Amino acid sequence: MTNSKITCKKAVDLISKKEEGKLSAFQRFQLWRHLAECSLCRRFSAQNKLIAKAFGLRQPVEKLTEKQKEEIIENVLGSKPGQ
Amino acid sequence: MERTNLSETEFRKWVEDHSDLLFHYAMKRVGDEELGRDLVQDTYLAAWRNRDSFRGESSVKNWLLLILKTRIIDHFRKLNTQAVVLEISPENDEGTFFDSEDHWRKGMYPSSFSVNFQNEIEGRDFFKVFESCGKKLKQIQHAVFVMKYVDDLDSEEICKIMGLTSSNYWVLIHRAKVQLRACLEKNWIGK
Repeated sequence: MTNSKITCKKAVDLISKKEEGKLSAFQRFQLWRHLAECSLCRRFSAQNKLIAKAFGLRQPVEKLTEKQKEEIIENVLGSKPGQ
Repeated sequence: MERTNLSETEFRKWVEDHSDLLFHYAMKRVGDEELGRDLVQDTYLAAWRNRDSFRGESSVKNWLLLILKTRIIDHFRKLNTQAVVLEISPENDEGTFFDSEDHWRKGMYPSSFSVNFQNEIEGRDFFKVFESCGKKLKQIQHAVFVMKYVDDLDSEEICKIMGLTSSNYWVLIHRAKVQLRACLEKNWIGK
């Protein structure tokens, strides 16, 4: 039976790969076991999820002004092919 | 091929109807206003020049979005990854986060903080901090995060686009997270 204990470095690696759904059943077990006893890696994992979520949720506030839209129209219609 | 003969009036409507959406889409991914505007303009320019090839099989909106997506990926592709890759020397890097036993090095401990996104005010305040911290990331780090977390691309696809090896990719991601985390820890008080 392989030793299922892993280091923090390995756990961090597995946490990142888990985001992509790339863990084997055994790796999932290794990670689960490590997280059960390592509060630092639990924190890392929680922060990781938070950063991922925040990136997905963020909404840009910038908007195009009417003038800028007008400029786009002018620039495109006024352009010559091959320019 | 039959000419579709798109009039300038119709083109104007394309801009009126879809430019807000396109700009929003671009800004979510590049985070720079001028660049965002350029990408939108390039998209319309390409659409106008290739208007004959638009067959109405998809909606105008989806067609424009497809052009924009391609432009954004092209922009990411052109970023110079070399400078970042040079900085990443695996031996040094691993040592920064972990000690000789591969345990978290003191001073690199992840600290705890959280955000309640359900709380409107807390969420809004957090995103102000998050945006300014995000701006401190290198363009490449930002691009990789966007592909990963906004567009849900696989690490292999991202590596291909950016011309990164898998090991450089993981170090880059990890570093960017540590950097972002440090900035959030410092500026975000909601613990």
